[in-house]
Amino acid sequence: MPQVLVPTVCPYCGAGCQFFISVEKERATGIEYMPEHPASEGALCSKGNAALEILYHPDRLHHPLKRKGDGWARISWNEALELIARGLGGALKRFGPECVGFLSSSKCTNEENYLIEKMARCLGSRNIDNCARLCHSPSVVGLNRTLGAAGMTNPISDIANSKCIFIIGSNLAENHAILSRWIHRARDSGAVVIVADPRMTHTAWMADIFLQLKPGTDVALLCGMTHVIIKEGLVDSEYIGKWTRGYEGLVEAVKDYTPEKVSEITGILAGDIVRAARAYAISPASSILYSMGITQHSTGTDNVQAIANLALICGQLGRQGTGVMPLRGQNNVQGACDMGALAEFYPGYRRADDPKTAKLFSHAWGLDLPVGRGLTATEMIDAAARSEIRAMYIVGEDPANSDPSSSYTRDALEKLDFLVVQDIFMTATAQLADVVLPASAWAEKEGTYTSTERRVQWSCKAIEPPGEARSDLEIVCALANSLGLKFNYPDAASVLSEINQLVPQYGGILRERLNGPGLVWPCPNPDHPGTPILHTQGFKLQDGRAAIVPVRYRPAAEEASWEYPFILTTGRVAVHHNAGSMTRRSPSLIEREPELFVEINTQDAAKLRIADGDEVSITSPRGGTTARARLTDRVKKGVVFMPFHFPGTNMLTTEATDPEAKIPEFKVSACKISRGD
Amino acid sequence: MPVYVDISRCIGCRSCEVACKRVHGGKGHVNVHMAGDHASVPIFCHHCEEATCTIACYTGALYKDAERTAFDVEKCTGCGLCQLACPFGVVWSDKIAHKCDLCAGRETPTCIISCPANALSTDFELASSRARARAAMAVARGR
Ligand code: SF4
Ligand code: SF4
Ligand code: SF4
Repeated sequence: MPQVLVPTVCPYCGAGCQFFISVEKERATGIEYMPEHPASEGALCSKGNAALEILYHPDRLHHPLKRKGDGWARISWNEALELIARGLGGALKRFGPECVGFLSSSKCTNEENYLIEKMARCLGSRNIDNCARLCHSPSVVGLNRTLGAAGMTNPISDIANSKCIFIIGSNLAENHAILSRWIHRARDSGAVVIVADPRMTHTAWMADIFLQLKPGTDVALLCGMTHVIIKEGLVDSEYIGKWTRGYEGLVEAVKDYTPEKVSEITGILAGDIVRAARAYAISPASSILYSMGITQHSTGTDNVQAIANLALICGQLGRQGTGVMPLRGQNNVQGACDMGALAEFYPGYRRADDPKTAKLFSHAWGLDLPVGRGLTATEMIDAAARSEIRAMYIVGEDPANSDPSSSYTRDALEKLDFLVVQDIFMTATAQLADVVLPASAWAEKEGTYTSTERRVQWSCKAIEPPGEARSDLEIVCALANSLGLKFNYPDAASVLSEINQLVPQYGGILRERLNGPGLVWPCPNPDHPGTPILHTQGFKLQDGRAAIVPVRYRPAAEEASWEYPFILTTGRVAVHHNAGSMTRRSPSLIEREPELFVEINTQDAAKLRIADGDEVSITSPRGGTTARARLTDRVKKGVVFMPFHFPGTNMLTTEATDPEAKIPEFKVSACKISRGD
Repeated sequence: MPVYVDISRCIGCRSCEVACKRVHGGKGHVNVHMAGDHASVPIFCHHCEEATCTIACYTGALYKDAERTAFDVEKCTGCGLCQLACPFGVVWSDKIAHKCDLCAGRETPTCIISCPANALSTDFELASSRARARAAMAVARGR
């Protein structure tokens, strides 16, 4: 039987693993591994292995739908486009472009994100964002300010060259599993691994030093380590003098963060703080890996800056085995940000509030474009709740499930005059829409994705989308045209060549260079080999110097109280992904983790007379849910953990956000627990 | 030549389970167990030299084929005796028996390529040689 192997990029996390889909008679029948892949060496995590299961799922959307009473009516594409032209177009005319919001998707290709950004701005709206807001917006703000670039500084495989790996707020063993092979390799050649997490995760299994801190005290820990390093004279003075500014301010700011004081705040032994600080500072090449445990806080931007400070004063940047590595959670969250699907940026991180930016793109796109930043994803929901946003176009995102305080988000979306949702499944958000458009999964379309290591990879089309579903690129073009714009792009490659012209980092990332493992941006011209390691020759900031920005510890927005005595922290498990719309429909994943659970410390559980497996109710000031109790000593007393893949968890989380990056504080919410009966 | 596990590397991600099941028509032969709060241990068929499953199997469906404990589906009656006989609980039966076939027909067992942590191999010595390398580095560093 003729069988074709089609190379595609995994649709789940940001690690960027590729695999072949074997196609027989136009059906995807199996996966073959790709041992030559530079980041995964052919490995796949459980989600990657199960990726094909969602393609032929009976819940896939096959036709455009419109709301009809309490149900749905199947409509043609023409009717759908007409309805949208009337709904979105009407809102644009009646209330002005500022009353329309666009959510692009970190699951869509760069080309699709670029077009959605272009469509929003060309229609005069500045309100365009993507779910990076909910994961790495503090990295964008914090790293751009300190290091002048927001990506992971070194490649994944380079972790093997590290001599000290400091993992803080990342459970990469479950969420970016393939990174663990590089960490093990580093350990075999003598690297020290430090893991800081409120929970003893599977990642902690790899640790030589494990720091179990209280949720929300990361800044204190990082300042404490900085304090020790400065006090013991372990800083790299030459590096500080040559490549940084603002060091004196930091010395002053961390003066009081003695290990003893930090121990009191974080609950970590003072001796362990000192050991970790020394290990990081004296090793010849140290790297810091972090993720949502750092960013999803009301102090998210401070957390990121504190990390950058630590790396800068020790000179642990710009060489093999060093670096600051934000690990991105979705396969194209890096690319969506690069393409400007962010309220404050145009493509290529050009500031939206800079008139020069608007001028440049007005010229390129042949239209007058608005200057200034728009509303972020979280602000759009607030504005919808106040009826200031009247219509929205949401692509491949499920805010009704993934945003904090879900019932508030649902009410806000219900208030909209008109909502279009484009997705592959009927998500909780799509349930609230006026028109639902059936989109394509990764295997049914082509285009580029940018992985967490800034690697831009081409993913090929293996099969046709089901029913009348279309690729997001086709849909966006049709929609833009029906709204009076002129989007004439026959395929992804034609969009990529426009990106090559307009996004300097992607200048040399041409379609014909993308067969195989892809290219790492910045890659400014067609002969450029790409830039795996950033900051080798200083920083893209004033005088080529990085900025050390002093930060001070602020407690989390919510603390445990008499009424709500537990701190809830949230995270992921190995076999699920984000809001779960894909993994919960994947039989071999859902059977391994079928329901919502809550991890409770055994001693706390004993006091509440809760046994392992009991159904318990968890309540916070915002709402309540039930979950199956798991008794464990992975969490300390007073802390409980819940995964956010099931509806319920985000009924509880706080809507407090970081003042700058506007990311919600998913990692710290007060709650109470009682037995269900 | 069974699949050996380097326990210091296993991170409990269950990729081996899902991968094995994927290539065996939905019937997996690996089970990852969480041991206590922290450790995870994937349990594989050992392809025992004196395999009790083959002794229990009265039809000869389970038999030794050089180092491999092989299975002939044609001869299996689905009686389940092997399931009772295996000391590791890694052969199981519904209508017929199911057990690890070391991915017969593939160059490398699927779980080995798929394991994100490089925890699996067919080299018995690998885990201990890695442990020796780590110990040597620790001695050299004085810790
Ligand atoms: S590690 Fe990430 S990219 Fe790789 S297979 Fe798993 S989800 Fe996919
Ligand atoms: S795939 Fe590897 S790391 Fe994951 S559970 Fe199996 S043996 Fe352990
Ligand atoms: S099934 Fe059990 S008894 Fe038979 S070879 Fe495997 S481990 Fe040994």
